[in-house]
Amino acid sequence: MSVIYRVTRRDFLRDAGVAAGALVFGSYLLPENLFGKDVKADLGKVKEILHNHLTLNPFVAIQPLDGTIVIVTFRPEMGQGIRSTLAAVLADELEADWSRVKLHQADCDSLAFALAFPYKIPPGTKLPYPFDIPPFTEPPTDKPMYVIGGEGSQFADSSRSMTAYFQAIRLTGAGIKLVFLRAAALKFGVDISQLRAQQHKIYHDASGRSVEYHHLLLEAGKVAIPLANEAEDALKQNPSEWRFIGKEGMPFVDAPNMVMGKVEYGADINVPGMLTAMVERCHVANGVLVSFDATEALAVPGVRKVTAVLPPGLAPGGVGRAFVPHAGVAVIADNTWAALKGRRALRDHIKWDYPKDNDHSHYESSAFRDELEKSTNAAGDVVRKKGDAMSAIASAVTQVKADYYVPLLAQAPMEPPMAIALLKNDHSLEVWAPTQNPDASQQMAGRLAFGIPEKDWAKEDMIARMRKDVTLHMPLVGGGFGRKSKPDYIGEAALLAAQNPGVPIRVQWTREDDIQFSYYNAVSSQHLEAGLDADGHPTGLLLRSAFTSFLATIFPPSQAEARAAFFDSGKDKYGSGIERAQGLEDMPYDLSNIQIENCPATNHIRTGWMRSVANIYHAFGICSFAGEMAVAAGRDCKDYLLELIGKGRILPLPSEGVKRFRNNELPLEMISVPIEGGKIRQVVPGFPPDTQRLIDVVKRVATESGWDEKVKRYKGMKGRGLGIAAHRSFLSYAAIVADVTLTDSDDPNGAKELKVNEIWGVIDCGLAVNPDRVRAQMEGGINYGLSYGLLGEITVKDGGVMQHNFDDYPVLRMHQAPKINVYIMKNDHPPSGVGEPPTPAVAPAVANAIVAAGGPRIRAIPFAAKVDSDKTKVIVR
Amino acid sequence: MPIFQLNVNGKRHTVDVDGNMPLLWALRDILGLKGTKFGCGVAQCGACTVHLDGRAVRSCSVDVGVAQLSKITTIEGLSYDGSHPCQRAWVELGVPQCGFCQPGQIMSAAALLAANPHPDDAQIDAAMRGNICRCGTYPRIREAIHKAAGS
Repeated sequence: MSVIYRVTRRDFLRDAGVAAGALVFGSYLLPENLFGKDVKADLGKVKEILHNHLTLNPFVAIQPLDGTIVIVTFRPEMGQGIRSTLAAVLADELEADWSRVKLHQADCDSLAFALAFPYKIPPGTKLPYPFDIPPFTEPPTDKPMYVIGGEGSQFADSSRSMTAYFQAIRLTGAGIKLVFLRAAALKFGVDISQLRAQQHKIYHDASGRSVEYHHLLLEAGKVAIPLANEAEDALKQNPSEWRFIGKEGMPFVDAPNMVMGKVEYGADINVPGMLTAMVERCHVANGVLVSFDATEALAVPGVRKVTAVLPPGLAPGGVGRAFVPHAGVAVIADNTWAALKGRRALRDHIKWDYPKDNDHSHYESSAFRDELEKSTNAAGDVVRKKGDAMSAIASAVTQVKADYYVPLLAQAPMEPPMAIALLKNDHSLEVWAPTQNPDASQQMAGRLAFGIPEKDWAKEDMIARMRKDVTLHMPLVGGGFGRKSKPDYIGEAALLAAQNPGVPIRVQWTREDDIQFSYYNAVSSQHLEAGLDADGHPTGLLLRSAFTSFLATIFPPSQAEARAAFFDSGKDKYGSGIERAQGLEDMPYDLSNIQIENCPATNHIRTGWMRSVANIYHAFGICSFAGEMAVAAGRDCKDYLLELIGKGRILPLPSEGVKRFRNNELPLEMISVPIEGGKIRQVVPGFPPDTQRLIDVVKRVATESGWDEKVKRYKGMKGRGLGIAAHRSFLSYAAIVADVTLTDSDDPNGAKELKVNEIWGVIDCGLAVNPDRVRAQMEGGINYGLSYGLLGEITVKDGGVMQHNFDDYPVLRMHQAPKINVYIMKNDHPPSGVGEPPTPAVAPAVANAIVAAGGPRIRAIPFAAKVDSDKTKVIVR
Repeated sequence: MPIFQLNVNGKRHTVDVDGNMPLLWALRDILGLKGTKFGCGVAQCGACTVHLDGRAVRSCSVDVGVAQLSKITTIEGLSYDGSHPCQRAWVELGVPQCGFCQPGQIMSAAALLAANPHPDDAQIDAAMRGNICRCGTYPRIREAIHKAAGS
């Protein structure tokens, strides 16, 4: 729900080409249906609170001369198509003629796009999760609270752009349409009920008159701006009225420029006078720079300067240092090639050291794997418990046990990280950078460029200063997958800009930098045990997970209490609530006896997140294990999976000891709260884990893939098999069937060559707002899952990453990409995640298919024991 | 530094650079042609693909000194209005996601179709295996090449 304002400042969209005299609407975005129809009286007060405390967001401008409608887009675009899709949602409800719509990309302006919760809630009101903690339980009286706060509003993460903004954007469009209806009523002297809006025009059918939106600007300035509930009434009430929402043929405005090479990514931006920097970094987390000799680097033509990146006194990046850059030495040069050559000349002339209390130079990934597996073979922290799983397993007729391993993984987006920063004479900072996380990037850039002492970083006035003094432009992101949620590379540019006031500095990462200095997806070990009765039915399940939590990157050990308090996120060495909620605590199988444990793991390298995050290892374990149980029971894998999931139900997490389930930051229950002066009908819909939706996608994928028939047919064939897996993540439900062939190879140990022939994928993401982009995300997300499943592995020796580029960190290529068939469930649920949910179930579906094809049970990623030199064959372990 | 003559998109350019500067950086940093992308620097990903005398090559691994002997075509010169059959098919089928690798994909596909107007799937796989797409748009790239071949 949004509150719309007419904006009087006419010049704020100058750079969007908005002419003088244009009518500009701002909008305060509020949570879905925040204002019920019975709280009209309260709206004045609400608007007053909003007006006093929120930054107005300029959203839509109507040009006076030709009626062009400019829509401001504000979420980072990294391939989801969100720029076009959210704008088309707004245009749909506004009844704008899309051929007369232009998009304007906003800069970082996080508070403007936050979803606010503007009510004062009476003391003692019990709110459901996630609003059952401060500030909601202790609402401050002088400022608004946020459902999605400053950082979250532009943070393209957790697949939530559409989940969070769909309804708010629709209401903004409908509200502006209502302004024009009112304006036309005034102009024509008729009742508004006789008017209708259609494609940039208001029609009065009775008299045959019509008027263009932009010929109503004078009257639009005189009519009342709609209240939020009035905008809600102006929404298209029937989905059949939508032109774009849920339909094929949604616009994709960036595609034509993309195929002509005309889209401007960060590295394509030319700021006059700009120099290019390459940074040679310490390969070990938390390592410090001792000294360097720049003589040879400075002798390279075009090299201007060689300099330490970090100022004295700032502890370098690594474990517990969040987004602070690694220690490094920058070579600043006239162009990229000179910087590259200069860095090569510098490489052997740097001395690093490793602080005694934070020395990760002995970290070896193979030894660490043993340590992790030891951790999951001992009791951990019980996070969910039902019945007595240990006794049930001990007394079972058949016991099934397995350990699964997923290594560190690098996101490797096609566009390597880069950033441009310029410190200006007035001590403001201007930054151009691809980022999924604009607000954190802005904060980090400002703190480092302005030399703010670390103890002051989190202070409110300092946060406000960064928002004021740092301008962050957001070019299209050339792939993110979680890497560009961490702005260390932007921090590097800011630090170098601070050393060179007035000179724009572009820090360009190479692929080697990207592979070697990622924030890696956690390395994980999963230990599973199950008991089966005489008929093969499951009686008990033990699930233990150890993974290197990304909270250990964000919080140093000295801030253990802050870490634990972060949404009850867990003690040092244990996983965060976010990670535990991604396939561990919400394990969907319905058994009488369940025990789920989180086991400790210590971080020695920067851990971050990659497309679907903790779901990667949790789904690999639990979905592979369903296959193992089915084989042990002598049953069909699809039938057994459905038996494991059981009856459709809302997962009873609280009654099984899950303290605070982090449901992708969204509530488990529908929120309806009393407020002063009225009752809110509904704030935000609930998004509880619903196993009926999981059952439905499993059944659909079985039907679409012809599971039953193929399973029978493949039984008689050598080396052919089908595998299935299903997983809920980011509020959506996905099921995958993989069809594989195993053939003999020239491997001396008799290992087989794997070919993935075809994949069927079904997603239930509620309303698929842009079906074509949902299909695109399914295709891409499936290939991403296949890529790391078959090929992905980062290994570490002496604290440094062993891989360098796509030759030793292979990723999926055209000839390895199977035929993919995508199906989207149709239902009445609100939109949920699409970017990440396709990925987690792919690797376990393939692992299960390999077994069905007569191959070995693979319990570790990557499946490829080796990839031959021309990368044509995947030889399974 | 030596001076090189580069024939790019039918236009002659004189560049004064280090002779072993890769063509990629001469195109991007010196001539300001930013459609050709940097993805790996070692001819592994194909984001920097251009045509040398109609053949698809990785511009990150061709020295300026070598490239000056050839007719160079970049994505900017493939067509001036997006009308190349590959570009049209790419848009019609909604191939791009983040879009970063697509200029390189299209340059490889265009060279393939020039040499083999009706490739089958195996021929497409062989010609396109040098171009990585992390968004995983491979199924649509394959479809778009078939579509462009039919047009």
